[in-house]
Amino acid sequence: MPAGIRGLVPVLIAIVVLAVLQLVLGGAPFFVYLASIVGVNVILAVSLNIVNGMTGQFSIGHAGFMAVGAYTAGKLSLLLKDLAISGLPAAVSDQVQFVGTLLAGGVAAALCGFLVGLPSLRLRGDYLAIVTLGFGEIIRVIVQNLDVFGRALGLSGIPQTSSLFAVWFCVFLVVLVARRIVGSTHGRSLWAIREDEVAAEAMGVNTTGYKVRAFVISSFFAGIAGGLFAHFVPIINPGSFTFVKSIEVVVMVVAGGLGSTTGAIVAAVFLTLLPEVLRTLFLQLGGLDTGASLAQKVDQIRMPVYGMLLVLLMLVRPQGLFGTREIWDVLPRWWPGARKGIT
Amino acid sequence: MSEALLQAVQAGIEFGGLRALHGFDLEIRQGDLKGLIGPNGAGKTTAFNILTGVYEPTHGEIRVCGEVVNGRQPHQINHLGLARTFQNIRLFRALSALDNVRVACLSDERPIFSQARIDELRRRTSGRSPLASAMDALNNYVDWWRALLLTPGFQEEERELTRRAEALLEVMGLSHRRNEEARNLPYGEQRRLEIARALGTRPRVLLLDEPAAGMNTREKGDLMVLIRQLRDQFSLGILVIEHDMKLVMGICEDITVLDHGVTIARGAPEAVRQDPKVIEAYLGDSYLAAHGMPVPARSPTTETPAT
Repeated sequence: MPAGIRGLVPVLIAIVVLAVLQLVLGGAPFFVYLASIVGVNVILAVSLNIVNGMTGQFSIGHAGFMAVGAYTAGKLSLLLKDLAISGLPAAVSDQVQFVGTLLAGGVAAALCGFLVGLPSLRLRGDYLAIVTLGFGEIIRVIVQNLDVFGRALGLSGIPQTSSLFAVWFCVFLVVLVARRIVGSTHGRSLWAIREDEVAAEAMGVNTTGYKVRAFVISSFFAGIAGGLFAHFVPIINPGSFTFVKSIEVVVMVVAGGLGSTTGAIVAAVFLTLLPEVLRTLFLQLGGLDTGASLAQKVDQIRMPVYGMLLVLLMLVRPQGLFGTREIWDVLPRWWPGARKGIT
Repeated sequence: MSEALLQAVQAGIEFGGLRALHGFDLEIRQGDLKGLIGPNGAGKTTAFNILTGVYEPTHGEIRVCGEVVNGRQPHQINHLGLARTFQNIRLFRALSALDNVRVACLSDERPIFSQARIDELRRRTSGRSPLASAMDALNNYVDWWRALLLTPGFQEEERELTRRAEALLEVMGLSHRRNEEARNLPYGEQRRLEIARALGTRPRVLLLDEPAAGMNTREKGDLMVLIRQLRDQFSLGILVIEHDMKLVMGICEDITVLDHGVTIARGAPEAVRQDPKVIEAYLGDSYLAAHGMPVPARSPTTETPAT
C-alpha cells in the first residue's frame, strides 16, 4: 500500500462499517433518533475536549457554536429545499445539499470561533470562561430576535436528510482529528500550553496562535454537530442552545476526564443515555398500568438521580473517569490491546 | 572576535514607579560563560525576563543575533536562538520526559515557505509584516493538515524530532527516564530535563536561572562540569544566574553584579570578589568596617539587609 494514503485507511474502514450499520439498523426510527442524539453529544464533547481538556482553556460557550452551525445549516437547507441539482436523483441531490449545508454550518461556527478566540484567548482562566459564556448567550439572544431565524419559535420544516451514517461518520471524523492532533507535534504544543503557558511560550510555542487554532477546530465541529442536529429534530429553537446545553457538554468532558478523548466519548454516551435508561427503569419498577401520575413523578426523580451520580463520580474520581489518559491506558494489563495506543 | 549573539544596551524597566532594572548592559558571544549575581530582589530574574521577551523593556534595546527584539513575543525571540530555564522549575509536569523535550524540538521544515524567507521578510520590515504573517499562517494551516492526514513527510519529521529529543536526553543523562512523567523525576533530574528542553529549541545562547538551586555539593560539582561541556558541545554562549558564589566563581569568566536594579560591578571573578561595593551589597557595612575595608558612599534609603 502506498504510504501516501495510509493515513486515509481508517476513513475507508469507517465508511464500510457505518454503511453496514446503516443498512442493518437504519430502519428503526427511535433507535436512529437516539443514536443521533448520542452522536451529536459525542461530537460536542470530543470537540470541546480539544479546548478544555488538551489546551486547558475553559470555554463554556459550546452551545453557542452549535447554534451557529444549526441555524446556518438549517436555514440554508430551508432555502434550498425546493431546488434540486439537475442530473442527479432526488435522494442524491438532497444528500449533496445536506453535506454542503453541514460544511457551511461548520465553517460559520469556525469563523465565530476565530472571531471570539483571537481577542479573548489572551485572557486566562475565568476571564475566558466569562467571554465564551457571553458569546453563547449573545448568539441565543440574536437568534431569538431575528425574524429570519423564526424568533423564539425557531425553524421548522428543515428537510430530515440526516442519517445514522451521517452522524456517526462525523463522530468518527472528530475522534480521528482529536487523536491525530494528540499524536502530533501540534498536540504536544497544546498539552504544553495546558501544563505551563509561560514555559511553552519560552520554548518557542506560539501560545496565542495554538489556542486560536484549537478554538477554531473545536467550534468547527460544534457547528457540524449543530448542523446534524438541525437535520434530524423536527424543530430547532433557541431553547435547544441555552447555557444549560453548554454546561451539559462541559460536564461530559469533565466527567470523562479533561484531556481524554475516549473519556469524553464514554461520558457523552453514558450521560445522554442515562436519563433515557432511568426513565425506562422507573417505568418498569412502577409498572406501566399505574397511570401517568407515577410516570410523571418518575420523570421528576430521574434528574436528581443523574445529578447524584455526577456528584458521586466527582467524589470517587475527581480527575474524571480516565483522567488525562485514554481508555486503553487504564484497562487492566491482561486486556488485549491495553497500553498499546492506536495512533 | 565572533559577533554578539545577545546584547542588552542600557536596558531598563519600570513597573509603575519602581525601577526594577536600570541601565543594564550585557553582551554574550559564542563560547562565553558569564554570570549574573546579586542579592535577592536585585533584578536578576527581571533581567532574564527582559532578555527573553516576557517583559518589554521600557528603556534601551535588546538585540538577539543583531536584531532588535523589543516588543517581540517570547516565542519569536526563542526562534532567533535564545532559550532559558526557570528559577522555579517549570516543566510540563504531566508530560513524559521525552515529550517535554519534543515540545521544544520544533521542526525547521516548513511546508510551503521556508522559515528563512519569512524571517528575512520580518527582518526587513522590523518584525511587522502582514505578508510574513500570512505566509506563516498558511504554513501552519498546511502543517495541521499534514498532521491530520498523517502524510509520510509528516511522520518522517516526527521520527526526526523524536531522535533529536532522545539524543538530548542522552546528553543530559536522562535516557532512563524517557517515558516517565516529568513531575515524578527527582529534583536534580528535573533541573537537567529543563536544560535538555531548552537545548531542544537549538539555541545559540542559553540562559540558566539558578540551575544549582536545591542541589547538594556533589550535584553542583557535576553541574559545573556539565555546563562547560554543553557550551563546547553545542557552541553556545551561556549566562548563568546563581546564588552559589562558589559555582559562579568556579565557572564564569565574567560576572555582572546587580543590586537594586543597578549594575554595581562587572569583571573577572577575582576582581568582583574584591570589589567593596559587592561585598557591601552581600555582607553589609558592618562586615566591611569589621575587616577594615572602606565603606562606599551611598544614599541612606537603600538599606540592604546582610545575608
